[in-house]
Formats: sequence, C-alpha cells, structure tokens
Amino acid sequence: MSAELVRVKIDERDVHVPKGTGIVETALAAGIEIPVFCYEPRLGDPVGACRMCLVEVEGMPKLQTGCTLTAQDGMIVKTARTSEKAAAGQNGTLEFILVNHPLDCPVCDKGGECPLQDLTFRYGPGNTRMSYEKLTFEKPIPISPTISLDRERCILCYRCTRFSSDVSEDGQLVAANRGAMSVITTFEDVPYTGAFTGNVTELCPVGALLPTQYRFEGRPWEIVDVPTVCGLCPVGCNINATVRETKVKRILSRNHPEIDEGWICDKGRFAFTHLRAEDRLTQPLQRTRRHGLEEVTWEAAIDEAERLLRAAQGRIVTALSGSETVEQAYALGKLLRAGLGSHQAMLPEEVSGALDGYRLPLSAIRDADAVVVLGDVPVAERAPVVDLWIKSARRKGARILDSADEVGDAERVVLIWSGPGGRGGATVAKLAEKLTLAGREGCGAFYLPTTPNGRGVADAWAACCDDESDEPDSIGLLVVSGDEAAADPNVRALAEQAEATIVLSMFGGLSAGWADLVLPGTSYLERDGTFVNLEGRLQRLRATVTPPCPDELHWIAELAARFDVDVAPYAAAVFAEVSEKVYDGLSFGEVGESAPLRGYPDAAVRVDRPSLPESQAKPGKTEIRLVAYKPLFSGAAVERVTELQFQRPQPEVELSAEDAGWRNIETGDLVTVGSNGNAITLPARVNRRLGKGIARVAIEHANGLGGIVELARAAEEVSA
Amino acid sequence: MTTFFDEVQEIRKRYPAGARSATLPALRLAQEKHGWLSREAIEETADALEVTPAFCYSVASFYDMFHLEPVGRHTIEICTNLPCALCGAQKVVEAFESALGISAGETTADGEVTLRAVECLGGCGYATVVAVDHRYRQNVKAEDAAEIVEGLDA
Repeated sequence: MSAELVRVKIDERDVHVPKGTGIVETALAAGIEIPVFCYEPRLGDPVGACRMCLVEVEGMPKLQTGCTLTAQDGMIVKTARTSEKAAAGQNGTLEFILVNHPLDCPVCDKGGECPLQDLTFRYGPGNTRMSYEKLTFEKPIPISPTISLDRERCILCYRCTRFSSDVSEDGQLVAANRGAMSVITTFEDVPYTGAFTGNVTELCPVGALLPTQYRFEGRPWEIVDVPTVCGLCPVGCNINATVRETKVKRILSRNHPEIDEGWICDKGRFAFTHLRAEDRLTQPLQRTRRHGLEEVTWEAAIDEAERLLRAAQGRIVTALSGSETVEQAYALGKLLRAGLGSHQAMLPEEVSGALDGYRLPLSAIRDADAVVVLGDVPVAERAPVVDLWIKSARRKGARILDSADEVGDAERVVLIWSGPGGRGGATVAKLAEKLTLAGREGCGAFYLPTTPNGRGVADAWAACCDDESDEPDSIGLLVVSGDEAAADPNVRALAEQAEATIVLSMFGGLSAGWADLVLPGTSYLERDGTFVNLEGRLQRLRATVTPPCPDELHWIAELAARFDVDVAPYAAAVFAEVSEKVYDGLSFGEVGESAPLRGYPDAAVRVDRPSLPESQAKPGKTEIRLVAYKPLFSGAAVERVTELQFQRPQPEVELSAEDAGWRNIETGDLVTVGSNGNAITLPARVNRRLGKGIARVAIEHANGLGGIVELARAAEEVSA
Repeated sequence: MTTFFDEVQEIRKRYPAGARSATLPALRLAQEKHGWLSREAIEETADALEVTPAFCYSVASFYDMFHLEPVGRHTIEICTNLPCALCGAQKVVEAFESALGISAGETTADGEVTLRAVECLGGCGYATVVAVDHRYRQNVKAEDAAEIVEGLDA
C-alpha cells in the first residue's frame, strides 16, 4: 500500500489514513464504529450487500455504503452518530432486514452472540410495523451432516457464498433464485463437502448457518471459551474450545493472523466429539491369562508397568506418535532414557533442522510471487490451512508452480513440500539453498509433516539424554505412545516380536488384541503443554476440560519416581527443563496465547544429509506412480465422529486427463492398479489438474500399494 | 460429431480465459439440447465449464429463461412486470389460465403447453407482451387468449 496519507473528517474527528483505506477502517482509526453485516475483509473486496454501513458524505446526494467507499483527501463523512439521514437510513435498512426474520431469538442458538441481535438493539427501530405473515421455509435444512441451515433467519448478506467461492474456492454454497425468493443452497441434495465448510457457521452474522453439533447445546452466558491450539495437524491453528459444564461443546477459530487468519478446517472444528467416543478408555487394562484385557486400578497398573519396565532390563523400544506434547515426550524420554538406559525409539517421522534458516510465518505465502508446491500429496490433506494461504497467493497474482525450475526471476519465492520422500524437510531446504533463498525477504521453505507435533517430540526426545545405545537383539518391552502409533501397522508388527507391550491410548479399540497393559491417554483438548507446528512455532495447549483419566504427566512422574528419576507432574515444570536445553530458556508463561515465531538456535540437533533428491524412477509407458496419501479426514479421532464420515474420501483412483485419455478411461470407469500380483480395482476420477504419470488414492483404499504400478482399464464385465 | 463438451469449449474461446462469462451461452446450449435444465444437464454443463454444478444452478435459477423443470412442447410466457401489469397483464394471465385449464407455472396434462408468468420481456412500449414459443405478441388483451391458444401448432 502506498504511504500517501490523506485527511478524512469522520463526524467531528479528523483522521489520517493511507489513501484508499476503506471508510469502515478509517472510522475505526478515528475510534468510531460503523456497523456492518456483510463486510468482512478476509473475504476479499467488499460487496455492499447488506446496506448496514450507510454514511452521509458531503457532496454526495445519497447515502453511501461505508464498506465500498475508500478514503480520499478532504472527505467529510458523517456516520449515524451525527447524521440524522444516515441514522434513518440504517434504521430503515434494519427494518427491511427484519421483514422476514423470525422473532425466535429465545430459542435460536445464535441468541446472545448474534450480530443481528446486537445491531438491532443498538441501531434498530425498536418496534415493528410488520403486521403481515413472514416468509416461512422448511427448517432446519441439513446442508451437510455438520451444518444446519435455517432459511427464515438468513438475511442474504452473502458472506457464506463469498467464502465458498472466493476463499475456499469450492463453489458449492451458492445463492439460488432471485430477489425476495433468494435462498442459500448447495446443488440438489449434495452435502456441502470440503475441508473448510464449517467456517461459514462462524461467518454467518445471524442464526442461519449453525454447527449441528452445537444446536441447543449451550447459551452464551453459560459457556466459557478456552483459548488453545488445535492438535490434529501440523498447522496448529489457534482455537477456542467452548466449554459448558465440563464438556467441550464446540470449537471456534481464534484468529492468529500469521497462522490461520481465523479459518480452521472441519477436522479441527468438528472432530472434538472423539472426547466422548464410546470406546474411550478411562481405566487401565491389563492382560490376564484367562480373560484377556481386564480393567484394573491405577495403582495396580502402575505396579504392573514398573514390573514390565524392570523385566525388560533396558531392552525397551518406544514408538512415539508425534501427537504427544513436548512435555509428555520429554517426561517419557527422561524415564526411559535417563532412568532405564533405553534409547531406542521409533520417532513419528523424520524431522530435519535444515529448514531453520528458511523459516517464515505461513502468512508469508500469501505475499509470495511464486509458490512451488512439491511432493504429490494434496496440501489440504496434510495441512489444510496452508492450502488456503496458497489459494490466497494465487488470487493475489502469485504463480503456483510444481517445479523449482520455473521460478525464474520471481522475487519472493516460497517452497512447500507436501508428500513422502521429503526427508523431514532436508530436500526442500536443499532446493531453497540452490535457489539462494536464505536471508531474502519473503522467501522461505516449508515442509508439511504428517504429525501435529513430530518436531516438538523429536526435540524433546533428543533433549532428555545425550547417551545412545545400539538396537537391542530382542525387544523386552515395546512402549507405544499414542493412538497414531497404536494404529500404525509397523508398530503392530514390532509388537509381535516384543516380549511385552504397553500401550498409551485414548481408545480401547486400537490395542485390544495385542497389548499387555493399556494406559488411558488424553486428548490435545485435555492437556496443558506445548506443541511445535510446521513453521517451527512453539505454541501453548491448554487443558480445556478435565480428562476422564489422570493426565499422562501425573502417572509418568509417579512411575519415574520408582526408578529414582525426577519428573515433575506439571507441564510448566517439565517445560522449564526442556526449555533450558532447547528453547533458549523461554518460560512456560512466555509462550503466549498468540505465539510469535521465534528462532531456537539450539533446536537444530537432528541429522542432516544434504543432497538433492535422486531423480525418481521414471514410470514406463504403461506404468504410473501411485501416491497413496493419508487423507485429512482419517485417523483415530475422525473415525469416532459419525457426522464426519461423509467427508472421508471415496474409494477411487484419481488420474490425470492425459493418462486417462490414451487408456480410454473416463470418470466412473473401473480401473485396475497393481504391482507384483497385488491389485486393486476402483472407479477412476479424471483430475485435469493432476500431472501426467501420477495417480492418487487414499491410503485406506490402497491395499498397501504405492510407488510404480501398472494401471489399466478393468476388464469389461460380461453382462448376462 | 461434435459433442456438447466440444461445443462448450468453442463458446469458451470467445471469452477471456478463466472467466465465467460462458456460463449463460453454455446453459442455453444445454437447454436447447435437453429442452430443460435437468440435474444431469447442469452437471454436464458444469463439467464442460470447469465450474461447480452449484454455480451453474445458481445462475440458471436466477434467469427466468432457464427452465429447471420440464416444459411442454409450446410455451406461453406472459410478462407481469410493472408496465404490463398496468395494462392488465393479470387479466391476460387469468384468461390464459381459463383457456388452458391450468395455473401459471403449470403444464397441460397432455404435455403440450406450459404457461408461465415471467419477468420483463423488454417490450414495455407494447404492453402486455406475451412470448408464444419465443415469438413476441404485442398489446395482448385478455380476449386474445383463446385465439392464441387455438393458433398453436397441433
């Protein structure tokens, strides 16, 4: 934005703002509020749909909409505070908005936190002249299993449809019909599907679009919003958990302008009901000879854990999930490594410190000139909000590339690695080095990991002990920490070799068959502690509700004491210990509610093998490289949320138009994908945006396939 | 044989790349082909335009000239906007309703004629305007209804 300042007089106040600033912001700079419904800068250019922001401008005969008007030098604006005309205009606007709006605030979930209610109270007529029947509609209409639409309450501000077309760019939520009969709708009976649909429930300034999970669940005066950070993917969106009577009732975004800009994905928003899943564990389970796993007391479980730890005589392997807090990973590491000399761990994924020199806030993607997205897995499946930043960059004119060779002379270059084979970010860091991005303004690189806190866990595990040990000949005890590790087939294979297995899991279903001792785990919404997101930003998690079982730190501390290892049962104290070694001595209290992106020079403790990636084996003529990706809507939490099942990927293979073309494959045709005798037959979906030679399938439908495969039209079924 | 998909690509070439301006002509083409815009017709159009079916539906539902329900072999469309209304359009509608035995918005049981009250047809100087199979009849009065219905091709 140009630096030229202009003087605008708003009511009785003079204010200087950069030329072109919207009048709503200009007034705000002067400390004056202009009420709005449709105006929302995050949705792009203003549209002036609701007419709530009417102001009087000297020299203009009619009232103007403050949101679409921009500041010019010498402009004299009068808001409803000082202009009778503007006040009458706003009053009239509200009267019209309310013509068909039902008077159901007492039973409306938005009541008490509703912009329409608030603005009507402050600027409205206070009375109605409407003695006619109002328009009525069928209600509520489930526009998806997670969102309910009440058309009677809708004031047609078009925030939701603008979000759908201009922010998430899914184009599924639209306005149909015309004039007074306009309605918000999806196509036919197709549910509103996508990674970001839930955001419309927060954008809606009335009670028209509501999260179905929250219908009749709470009123604003009996809830408390607890600020925390989402722990379901490596973005670490800032959220508020709405808590009523010790239960999480809803998740709201909490705008961190550098991370999420106030948008969160549907997994983060709607998957919280996993806290109350049917198979949620609250009591430890111990394998007994005759009855399989049986509930035991915590005292007995800790005794048994101590016995198993001693019996293993140091031959312990730990499988971590990357969803532990830094503190949990450190406490566990200290017990097992410092206390028992068992250093062997399966870390959730490779994490490289090589990216530290290319660190940027995610919001820098929006301002880039060129964004290079590498790695074949759709960004939205790994780190959904990053996809919104990329879209926003494209709308601002950035080139979105799939090869670093095309960067050319672009000034601000951002590299993003989304997929397997990135070696924890080392590969993309090497590319960044080749492009000499270090130290250049607005340039940087991101690696999208698969786990929410893989980096924090790796930091913590590395920090608790300097010793190393060789892999034991046999595994005396396998300690499986967390649900992701418990669901990992490689971990289960390891459990077969282990003499005994302890599993820390939230859900009974995950470990029923193979654990000897199961200790109930907690969710990210129940923990105090810290996470490190994909930017390398340290963020604070808060226990929004009390877990139905003891916090991990409490019993780890108790268990550690039996081995004369000093572990504090509180996150703040454990963090202080980690921080000394990894985070520059930052104190727990300083992490902050809206954490800044800090540098941690000591954090780069990981192995680097800097080299450019070997060129991948080129697929032969009939071959194709199959990318089996982990979908966003998957994992232990999502599996336990009935209303999110519609979001899970269809069993289908995506392939490029080119690959489909010469094979004579159209969307819906059955194709067979296989290698070495293993084959799957699934319907095809032709994706014109996909590159040649690549096919994609959700891992749950891949049957273990991946890499170079043969792909062909399935043999025609003989019809009778 | 050129497919619908190819024809839409031809239409798209007339407009700036990425623009949605081709939506109206593409929907019109789809309607000419199918007679009305069924769910399948909208999906086919959306696919050819690389937009969502919801977007096409949103556009189609805005304009009166697009039919979201099947229509008869003949259409009689009466403008009921202000100038026509002042010149007795309502009476014209009623006259057609009794001549055909159906209400505005309906199609005769034999599937022959659809009667609709529509928005401005752009012939305000010749109110009331009635479009009979897309051909305008000007200055139509209630008493002309029977004759117009009689005059439809069998």
